[in-house]
Amino acid sequence: MGTVSITGVSKVYGGAQGVRALEHVDVSLAEGEFMALLGPSGCGKSTLLNILAGFEAQTDGVITFDGKSVRKPGPDRGVVFQEAALMPWLTVWQNVIFGPQVQGVAKADYEPRAREIIRVVGLEGFMEALPVQLSGGMRQRVGIARALVMQPKALLMDEPFGALDAQTRLSMQQLLLDVWQTFKTTVLFVTHDIDEAIILADRVCVMAARPGRIIRDIPITLPRPRSINDLLTSEFLGFKGQIMAEMRGAH
Amino acid sequence: MSSLVSERRAGPGRIFGGLALPRLGATLLALILPVALVVLWQISGTNGSIFGGALPTPDRVWEAWLKWAFGASSMGLNPYSGTWLESVVFSTIRVAKGFAIAILIGVPLGICIGWSRMVAKVLDPTIQWLRPVPITAWLPISIAIFGIADFGSIFLITIGAFYPIVINTTHGTRDVERNWIRAALMMGASPFTVLRRVVLPAALPSIFTGLRIGLGIAWTAVIVSEMVAVKSGLGYVLWDAYYVGRMDIVIADMVSIGLLGYLSDWLIVRVEHFVLRWRRLQSFNA
Repeated sequence: MGTVSITGVSKVYGGAQGVRALEHVDVSLAEGEFMALLGPSGCGKSTLLNILAGFEAQTDGVITFDGKSVRKPGPDRGVVFQEAALMPWLTVWQNVIFGPQVQGVAKADYEPRAREIIRVVGLEGFMEALPVQLSGGMRQRVGIARALVMQPKALLMDEPFGALDAQTRLSMQQLLLDVWQTFKTTVLFVTHDIDEAIILADRVCVMAARPGRIIRDIPITLPRPRSINDLLTSEFLGFKGQIMAEMRGAH
Repeated sequence: MSSLVSERRAGPGRIFGGLALPRLGATLLALILPVALVVLWQISGTNGSIFGGALPTPDRVWEAWLKWAFGASSMGLNPYSGTWLESVVFSTIRVAKGFAIAILIGVPLGICIGWSRMVAKVLDPTIQWLRPVPITAWLPISIAIFGIADFGSIFLITIGAFYPIVINTTHGTRDVERNWIRAALMMGASPFTVLRRVVLPAALPSIFTGLRIGLGIAWTAVIVSEMVAVKSGLGYVLWDAYYVGRMDIVIADMVSIGLLGYLSDWLIVRVEHFVLRWRRLQSFNA
């Protein structure tokens, strides 16, 4: 479960003469695979994520999730947004249980799970806080918990750590590595940070802009479980050198 | 709504920021102007009147007010004696009813217009086109339909309060952060749940702006309508007292209207502060 197949997907904004955000993208994700979409801003990586999430419609092509055509958003694809996008009037706890609540899941079913996930992402003691009282990193923990509590088949993460400071970003990357090790969900992770893409993903798809397309698909064979200390290994640096060369070549 | 935030930042309380009694300081500052005006008005009068007898001085107004409020009912000599509370209650109930109807129609309608482009295309032009018609222009129609009756007044209040409520609700709904809606849909919320649990709370700050403006117009509407279309309430007394030359009652009536408007606005602000606690925190942190 959680397989993604994207075939010949194009996206044009603003009519026939408009911006070609994506042009004929073919890519697929296997169950439990962690894929990073890496590219400069404006290369269409977020557009691709939004189409898979069901927020936007493609102009052309076919996109399926577990064999079914994607038409609208749903709890099988948990999205983690760039700025967390929490409801500011709800507490951490209320934000986390929003999904199961609106789906009409029984309290006895989701409450233990929500508590467990809150513990895993390190939010114990903040259940009654409002988002505005939290730091950026803490908010993003809520964003991840809110997605995980729905037991999604895939996580779609749109530059979730892009707005965080370097130190917080490292600890969030470690957190995500641990969380993924536990839940093993399919992940599509959009980023413009080469280090982040390599340390997290099984595969890095490098994108280029104008028109947005995937130019390289690089398997990352660093052993699992990983930690952010792997950023210092020569293997890591080997992948980084390779990807940097690819990205230079694309310009 | 930014006005509330800026009030907090640059409000009179801040001048006394270092002192222990900022509230008292703010109250004292607020009282300087009205007290000065009343004193000036009092000392420029002679024998209890100014402008050659056209208007009474504050002490006479105060006396008339006391009698109006607490005097024994005596239909013959002073028809106003002891009827103040009755008039206040009549006007207040009308405002409450008309305002409540305006909220019940204006908020859902504003959400629909802000949410659906189709509904906006159908309704918005008509609303924008009817909006410049002042409530006074509705008086003849109101009397023609409802006669000299309570509902004519309530009808005018509803019309007056409706426009700012519906327009601010529309704006609030349109400006809802797109990713909040996307997040809710992603979590499996139905469109109706999104409206109720995301759009409505997110639009509340704008809705409250509309409510405050609407309530102010509701008080204007009740006075205007009572002057013409009903035979009770503060507006009726205002016009009646003018006809019989009781300018002391006219002025006491005006002050009463001001106080009631101020009190009802204060009440809404209290409710707003309670409902939008999350937002107050936000503006302090920002």
